[in-house]
Amino acid sequence: MDQGFTFSVFLVAWLTAAIRLSGPLLLAALGETFSERSGLLNIGIEGTMLLGAITSYLVTLWTGSPWLGLLAAMLIGLLANTFLAWMYVQVQANQVVVGIIFNILALGVASYTYRLSMEGVTGPQKVAMFEPIPIPGLAAIPIVGPILFTHSILLYLTVALVAVAAFVLYRTRFGLQLRAAGENPRAGSAAGIDIVRMRYAGVLISGIAAAAAGAYLVLVQVGLFRETIVAGQGFIALAIVIFGRWDPWKVAIAAFVFGAADALQLSLQLFQVGLPPQLLLSLPYLLTILAMSGILGKTHQPEALMASYRRE
Amino acid sequence: MAAQNEEGDPAYSLRQIVKRFPGVVANDHVNFDVRKGEIHALLGENGAGKSTLMQILYGQYGRDSGDILVDGQVCALDSTRDAIRLGIGMIHQEFMLVRRFSVVENVIMGIGDDKRWTVDLKKAADRLRELSLQHGLHVEPDDIVEQLPIGVQQRVEILKLLYRNARLLILDEPTAVLTPQETAGLFVVLRHLASMGHSIVIVTHKLHEIMEISDRVTIMRDGRVVGAVKTALSCKDELARLMVGRDVSLRAEKAPRQPGKPLLQLEGLSALDARGARALNAVALTVHEGEILGVAGVDGNGQSELAGAIMNLASITGGRVLFDGEDVTRLSPAAHHELGLAYVPADRRHVGSLGELPIHRNAILGRHRQFASACGLMEEPKIGQFADALIERFGIRPKRPDYLAGRLSGGNLQKLILGREVMRDPRAIVIEQPTRGLDVGAIEVVWRELIAQRDAGKAILLISAELEEIFNLADRIAVIYEGRIMGIVKTSEATIEQIGLMMAGEAHPANSGAPQ
Amino acid sequence: MKGFSVERRLMPVDTSLSLALITLLSVVAALVIGGVLMMPFGANPFLAYWQLFEAGFATWRGFGFTLVKAAPLIMVGLATICAWRTGFAYLGFEGCLLIGAAAATWTAMQALPGAVLEGVPFFMFLPMVIAVSMLSGAIWSGIVGYFKSRFGGNEVITSLMMNYVAIFLVQYLVSGPLRAKGDLPVSPRLPENTWLPYLFDGSRAHLGIVMALVATLLVWVLLLKSRVGYELIVTGLNPKAARYGGINVGTRQLLASFLAGGLAAMAGTVDILGVHHRLVDGLAEGTGFVGIVVALLGKLNPIGCVIAAILYAGLTVGADAMQRQAGLPASVIFIVQSLIILFVLASDILRYYRISRVGPAKTTPVEVSG
Repeated sequence: MDQGFTFSVFLVAWLTAAIRLSGPLLLAALGETFSERSGLLNIGIEGTMLLGAITSYLVTLWTGSPWLGLLAAMLIGLLANTFLAWMYVQVQANQVVVGIIFNILALGVASYTYRLSMEGVTGPQKVAMFEPIPIPGLAAIPIVGPILFTHSILLYLTVALVAVAAFVLYRTRFGLQLRAAGENPRAGSAAGIDIVRMRYAGVLISGIAAAAAGAYLVLVQVGLFRETIVAGQGFIALAIVIFGRWDPWKVAIAAFVFGAADALQLSLQLFQVGLPPQLLLSLPYLLTILAMSGILGKTHQPEALMASYRRE
Repeated sequence: MAAQNEEGDPAYSLRQIVKRFPGVVANDHVNFDVRKGEIHALLGENGAGKSTLMQILYGQYGRDSGDILVDGQVCALDSTRDAIRLGIGMIHQEFMLVRRFSVVENVIMGIGDDKRWTVDLKKAADRLRELSLQHGLHVEPDDIVEQLPIGVQQRVEILKLLYRNARLLILDEPTAVLTPQETAGLFVVLRHLASMGHSIVIVTHKLHEIMEISDRVTIMRDGRVVGAVKTALSCKDELARLMVGRDVSLRAEKAPRQPGKPLLQLEGLSALDARGARALNAVALTVHEGEILGVAGVDGNGQSELAGAIMNLASITGGRVLFDGEDVTRLSPAAHHELGLAYVPADRRHVGSLGELPIHRNAILGRHRQFASACGLMEEPKIGQFADALIERFGIRPKRPDYLAGRLSGGNLQKLILGREVMRDPRAIVIEQPTRGLDVGAIEVVWRELIAQRDAGKAILLISAELEEIFNLADRIAVIYEGRIMGIVKTSEATIEQIGLMMAGEAHPANSGAPQ
Repeated sequence: MKGFSVERRLMPVDTSLSLALITLLSVVAALVIGGVLMMPFGANPFLAYWQLFEAGFATWRGFGFTLVKAAPLIMVGLATICAWRTGFAYLGFEGCLLIGAAAATWTAMQALPGAVLEGVPFFMFLPMVIAVSMLSGAIWSGIVGYFKSRFGGNEVITSLMMNYVAIFLVQYLVSGPLRAKGDLPVSPRLPENTWLPYLFDGSRAHLGIVMALVATLLVWVLLLKSRVGYELIVTGLNPKAARYGGINVGTRQLLASFLAGGLAAMAGTVDILGVHHRLVDGLAEGTGFVGIVVALLGKLNPIGCVIAAILYAGLTVGADAMQRQAGLPASVIFIVQSLIILFVLASDILRYYRISRVGPAKTTPVEVSG
């Protein structure tokens, strides 16, 4: 076979994997965008993803319906993040510390629940998953078809959510108020915006999205639960939000870049290229560091990000 | 106009409002009325409780007790949302604008009575243009706020209130950041709005503005209302007396003294403010030994940058600072201290001291190197002795070196800062707004100390917005306006009117520029 | 009729009695929840907790493990104290720890047979490895510190990102330059003359805990008793006041970043030379973050940090033992650990409230806990 064919096989494999890997990252990052736009750095999405993963796994195992699994995960994400929002907004505890501890708690809860539910069960139990749905017609297009149109329903929904997120953020009253809460809470409050409510909303949205992203990992990618299923992907989503400059469209691109680097690294290992794969993996982070370092001028993060707000 | 509404019932009333903060009663059973179509001035010194009262009326602060009445009815007013619904709007001293939002986004944010959940920026922009034409407040709806000059930002704030049909407009120190032209423009707008039936409250401590613009005045002191009068039936003297609660002609005894040689010289000094805008423009001043040179001017005309530039704390763009003939422009602040140049900043709580640290740790700020041994450890006994001496000499209360500076009253804190700077026996002192917000007792201590320092041969640059202070202490007066020195006059030959004109931007006819 | 009402205080209660009471309540509440979680496994919570306590603190051997776990936590906690009290909101300790581990491994590998330092006595090796490790960590965190002081970059975000770069760097090192011959991506086993010596017979406690305590003393003196410490603290409290006081804020923050990186690198060093004796992937396991929590629980005070670190480490060790002996999942104790901290954080809000007894005639405020 000629080189061109090999290359196109490689390209299709790589980019398909890139999109597949970036799906849950994008979902979690879109949610986190809302939290950070409201002024709160929600590091707890890592733990929330894990809670979403275990919930979706167990509920799907018991009911056989991945949809119910997804729904239950989102509900748990909502509940867990109500607590987080309370800690961030009302107690005003250090957001980083609360997030880190919450992640440890979530790991404990997920592993405890798994062990309790699986007592007496031998061997891993695979659950029903969302199967890939090739889009009729489009999936047949050479190269582009298999890359873009052979994914699961969750990926299509996630991509659609990018547009929804952008619309909500920029075109709705809610989005305007949420952004005001993250830019200048005192000014927003003086204008009659309920800052506390907006920040709760931001965290809850990020929680639901993160839990759904965790469910995505189980119901689309693995079909099983293990404690290491999230393994830092919540933190990667944080990086993606920053790399994407808190804008849903750019976040989508950023998620793809991170996913592509990950996928390329896997492919390169197969192809035995001399480049250390870690260099490739760290590239998106290095770019984020460069962007945030101030060398290239000031970045426009939400001005009140991580600043607490208390009504007198 | 005032006469027309004289018999009218108050549109908005506050009854027996009480608000406590840790350690102070900010509002002590305050009553306050505003009528329809009137411009009502709320007068008081810094810390009198006027801003707090207005923030309670606007729902930003909760109140410990008291009622708010609108058109005679007691209303539930517990949030800014409630206040906005009741037609109340407020413009804060520090503008409440989101810098990265456009004008129209700022104007419509927070409006919740509309049923629609999407925003139509275009429609809002059209209505905004209409409003701005109607009231002579020109703004471009799509401009980003952070790129607009201060005066325009204030217009955005006013439009924000009009857009949501506010019937009561509260303006907190609206002219503090404006040029005289902008102030005049603002007053035209306010009169126009009052004539349309809006009620307006301006919170201020500037007497001449009150005389010019207001129909009625309510005066507050120490959290209480001490008087409410019709402006036309009052005069500046009476208002001032009510405001400060002491004879305005507080006099400091000061013997004439022949100044010595020039010590601190500024040559064409220019600097930028924190935002990077030009704030100080080719300032030339000379302070002699044994002399107090007063720098008068309305707040925000480059005073802070002047002091900052001398100490190399502001970003200097040109010119030189000479100390005893030596160029010290680019020396570090620490080197300035070592040469014998002391600085008492205007912001006592956030620049001059550290509230979270005890008195003894604040007492060594800026000279902590002298309290460290050769191996770099702090010498606690020496620090303790020094703090005790400082507390004793300046009568700081409480007499406890381990007391947190943040819990000291303003007067005691200023005694701590001034005392600290004086006790290092400097050759020159730059002091900025030394008695702002202090009670009479503390003012006397500070004034007496400054005069004593002058008599001891120190060169003192006194930057103050209080003319009373300038006239009492300064041997010569320089007036600063928009970062320039408008002229320098001997205090003995100066009149308040003349200085006032210069503060409003008119150059002194005889000498503008460098002193003798 | 008499009743109770809750009203908001103007200032939080901050007496040490009330703080102690609140912490005690948090611990009890978390332990009760943990006990309930043990029920489904048919365990007696009291017995399980006793086993945990015994394993973590009350046996010589167990306490040794606790000290082994506490040493790196103390180092990271001290690093947090230096950085955060100077206003440098650094979160990259996980990365510094890895860099320190890699640096220590590299240095110790120089003592392998045939390398330059072969047969070096430990007392000469120790200062060398400390110097190399601290320097590497300081440079690593100094990058972020330099970005902040020179360009005004956001250290929270850049330092978080740097952690990943460090993880990948270690992955690269163990799969390439520092890799031992063999299938696994790990470094060679380090020569025994570079290991931190064990302190007592029958205990795994090694020199690392002594190093951590010495570091605590040094940080305490530096921060609270020295001129530089005064400048660091003033810078952290208020950069404006610091500048006014003639303190160079930029260089102080840079110094804080060096100190933080150096100390956090020591956490990796003691783990490598005291426990693993070789560089492996996945070494940090969140120590760089738990250390932050430990420092905050200790109110950013060096002594408090040591106490918090030992308690946290003891719980972790005890949890492992409990899992082995009682067959209970260790995750119960992770839950208890994190709940204690979350309760302590959350109870902060309680300090703002007071319960009053309201009677028909008079109002008597009753203070909650002093």
